[in-house]
Amino acid sequence: MKRLKICFGMLVLLLALSSVGAQDVTTVSMWFGESEYAQCITEVVNGFNDVNPALQIEIIPQADTWNTTRTAVAGGGGPDVVRSPGPSFVYEMAQQGLILPLDSFADEMGWRDTFVGWALDLGLVDGQLYSLADELETLVMYYNKTLFEANGWTPPDTMDELIALAEEMEAAGIVPFSHGNADWRPTNEWFVGEFMTQIAGPHNVYKALTGQIPWTDESMVEAMETLDMMQQRGWFGGGLDLYFTNTFDTNLSMLGNGEAAMNIEGTWRFNGIPDYFGEAGGNDNDWDWAPVPSKTGDDLFTIGMGNTSSINANTPHPQETATFLTWFFSAETQGAMLSNCGKGPAPIHLPEDAMVGLDSRVSRAYAALSEASADDRYGYTTWTFWPPKSDVYIYEEVERVWTGEITVMDYLEGLNELFAEELAAGDIPPIPSR
Amino acid sequence: MATIPQKKIATGFLDRLTDETWRYKFTRNVLIPWLFILPLLSIHVFVVAIPAVQGIYMSLTDWSGVGRNVEFIGLANYQELLFEDETFGKSLTNNFIWMAFFLTVPFILALFCATLLSQIKRGGMAYRSMLFIPYVLASVVTTAIWRNLLSPRKGIGAAMANLTGIEGFDIAYLGRSETALLSIAFIDNWHFWGFLMILFLAAMQAIPPVLYDAAKIDGANRWQEFRHVTLPGIRPIFLFMFMMVAIWSFLAFDYIWLLTQGGPGGSSEVIATQLYKNAFLRFEGGYGAAQGVVISIFAGFIIMIFVTLRRRGWDI
Amino acid sequence: MTAFGKVSLRGNILQRGRSKERSRLLVFNHAVLLLLTAFAVLPLLILFFNSLKTKAEIGANPLGPPNQIIAENYINAWEQGNFATTMRNSVIYVVVTIAAELVLGGLAAYALARKKPPGSDLLMLYFLVASTIPLWMYIVPLYTQFRIWGLVGEVHGLIIIYIAGNAPLTIFLLRSYMIDLPRELEDAARVDGANELQVLTRIVLPLTKPGFLTVGLVVGLGVWNEFTLALTFIYDPSRAPVTTSFFKFTDRFARDWALTSAGAVIIIFPVMVLFLALQRQFIEGLAEGGIKT
Repeated sequence: MKRLKICFGMLVLLLALSSVGAQDVTTVSMWFGESEYAQCITEVVNGFNDVNPALQIEIIPQADTWNTTRTAVAGGGGPDVVRSPGPSFVYEMAQQGLILPLDSFADEMGWRDTFVGWALDLGLVDGQLYSLADELETLVMYYNKTLFEANGWTPPDTMDELIALAEEMEAAGIVPFSHGNADWRPTNEWFVGEFMTQIAGPHNVYKALTGQIPWTDESMVEAMETLDMMQQRGWFGGGLDLYFTNTFDTNLSMLGNGEAAMNIEGTWRFNGIPDYFGEAGGNDNDWDWAPVPSKTGDDLFTIGMGNTSSINANTPHPQETATFLTWFFSAETQGAMLSNCGKGPAPIHLPEDAMVGLDSRVSRAYAALSEASADDRYGYTTWTFWPPKSDVYIYEEVERVWTGEITVMDYLEGLNELFAEELAAGDIPPIPSR
Repeated sequence: MATIPQKKIATGFLDRLTDETWRYKFTRNVLIPWLFILPLLSIHVFVVAIPAVQGIYMSLTDWSGVGRNVEFIGLANYQELLFEDETFGKSLTNNFIWMAFFLTVPFILALFCATLLSQIKRGGMAYRSMLFIPYVLASVVTTAIWRNLLSPRKGIGAAMANLTGIEGFDIAYLGRSETALLSIAFIDNWHFWGFLMILFLAAMQAIPPVLYDAAKIDGANRWQEFRHVTLPGIRPIFLFMFMMVAIWSFLAFDYIWLLTQGGPGGSSEVIATQLYKNAFLRFEGGYGAAQGVVISIFAGFIIMIFVTLRRRGWDI
Repeated sequence: MTAFGKVSLRGNILQRGRSKERSRLLVFNHAVLLLLTAFAVLPLLILFFNSLKTKAEIGANPLGPPNQIIAENYINAWEQGNFATTMRNSVIYVVVTIAAELVLGGLAAYALARKKPPGSDLLMLYFLVASTIPLWMYIVPLYTQFRIWGLVGEVHGLIIIYIAGNAPLTIFLLRSYMIDLPRELEDAARVDGANELQVLTRIVLPLTKPGFLTVGLVVGLGVWNEFTLALTFIYDPSRAPVTTSFFKFTDRFARDWALTSAGAVIIIFPVMVLFLALQRQFIEGLAEGGIKT
């Protein structure tokens, strides 16, 4: 009898202990690719972990993030927070029920106030919210400021001025643009998207994206012809074959040492560009940026998203994951990641002081971007607003235009056909109306 | 002699089971060998065969590549691939060019070099280590090194033009439609041929020296020695690698993906890079799987050729 | 038998050393081999140079020796790449895979080469056909299966995939080394009462040691350099192999070539040491094989 009592007592103790174990700690995982970010973001997230002992966030640095995430999520596994490179990828996962709808969390946790007006719309799939946009980005025209000053050049405002300046540079033996796609084939699409917005104009791109005008519209032809002309004249990297073999390292050192004068690239490059100038770059030069010249002379900025965040349908902790996302997308956290890690901010309402301490060139860019988006001067990046097949087509097939295999018209007709298919199938990422 | 086994066959199954000689032979020649094979075979079936069969099924569906909701669409993917996809023929041609390159250049180089090495007694080990080094590099490293070396601006060609005044080699080998594919093959081969050479050399070293002595006594010259002793000695490994390289030619992916991703303008596109783009960038997983099956079918033809040769008595 | 082999080996060397014609031809051998060695090694020298430069200098001077030696690249690469962990992990992946592959592959190859049980032709065909299937076609179903079996993220899960992936090549290579062995020795051993396992380990294995070493080398290198499967099936950084360190030097679009080069040298170094150590064994194995012929 006594023995039985002891046994019973132990059982109760065991149960009590195990229930303590069960309540223990909830861990929510998130994969981060960009190595220098991952480390820095872990430090920022540790701030969250310190004050929330019951909810611990695990930032896992995962190389080749999207490839591995896709396989893992498709196979029923993966992290709790699913990050993808853009809305069209979210669309596929949402269709397959691999990620959770977020509308109730958005209401409950105030996300609709956190994000700027159009930003949550980017995450809609068939009217339901599936992802939160992260890392607001745009393309700007970096230039070698020292070289510009030495030659008495100023950053051009219009496309015509840009072409005239490039001719002048060419005559002086300077490569106008230090471009090349050897490290990242889809670099091509940066220019396609940028030229469409800057030359055809954002309103025409909007119409084409919503199916009101075809991609073969005159304005698009003009944009692609201008881009092709620049490639043919060897302004991108010093020749078409060089464009295909230049790595980012080459591009940036050319810009840094003054072999080349300008470089149209994303705001993500703010992180790396200082390494190629001044003492770090082994030269006496300095850099700055200007808006990419447009046909009309307006300062237009294309909008892109570096990443999206969603909640894995397989997660045992959707509520906790949402709680973490609320903290992650808060102004304080995004501000901390911008100033500490150089990570582009999410499209949220950032307070004025979030940019304090940043290089003035960087804060100027984000300020200009938010001004432009409030001012109807924003355009579209291909990886955020085009559906997946059209997007692949844009950067793959444009090479055949440049190598002379097909004409600009062939290219745009092909795009038009593919786009129409995807539009009809409803595979188009949400385009905020303007 | 011939009548004894006939009698044995005539006896019943039970008799055979109790026949000790038969049981011994069965254990020794069937059961134990299969027990030896089974562990590796079962691992392989679980890791490759079962998922591959699922992949084949996916090729008959409209699978997007990420989801589980699939619809059976029969042979529609194959129909599109073989009759409507204009880029497929071009990619296939590139696979054949790749194969032609890899069945000649590395084999000649490896055979030649292994022969030279097998005759050397002193310093042979140093050569062997050095020549094999490229094979130990990961593909990311190899492609990085050679992208710099083939750069028209700062590569070997440019250095040659600067130092010796010999112009014409400073071209963007990887950036031109005409040269991109062969340049990638060259880089892959730089990494690969040393491996082939080591295999050949190991086989050559296993040839009993008595055979060479006998050849010398017969007054054979070097070529005859190579032709009648070396070549037959390494034939199994040579033919096997010949077949494997032919099969791998249809699977070529890594180096092309790392260097050009099929560009410029599709000039270095092969079936495997197309498969990857369809399955993981365009969200046409079913279509990509169909391309995978087609790759296997083409490689299957190569196997058929070798199986036929084997039937005709070749020892492969 | 042993004595005969030794004499023959020595006689062979002496004969070659005496012949004038042979030694002249060896000059040609050395000339060609030196040229090919330069072709193989010079790019690596450039890699080494780059590992000592700044990022900007690699862009401006990708071939020549460094203007200023930046040894910190190695320290930074070691830390940023978390090499202390990944190296240890890769050693585990490599050693376990090689051991399992050689044992299991050796058994299978022996059965196929020396015993040829009914169905072995079909089995060879199976392995051949299996080696024609592109990974991209079955990686998603494989992941799904592995997740169900609880093998995703596990060290032994990845090792199982490596064993399977290397199986066809291992079996075929080992088999090709075994197939031409003289049958008499085995038969003699069997008459002496050896079972099949003893025949394999005592007769066939010593004779095909170079083959086993070669296959071990090939499998080990394949595992050491593999990254697609590792990235897909292992996401716990404490279990990641050495190749994943490579990806620590990239940002979203670009790669830090200075650190990458230093990282590459770090990765190559142990392999080189291993290969050189194996070389010595390799030669011993060859000599042993020669004596027993």
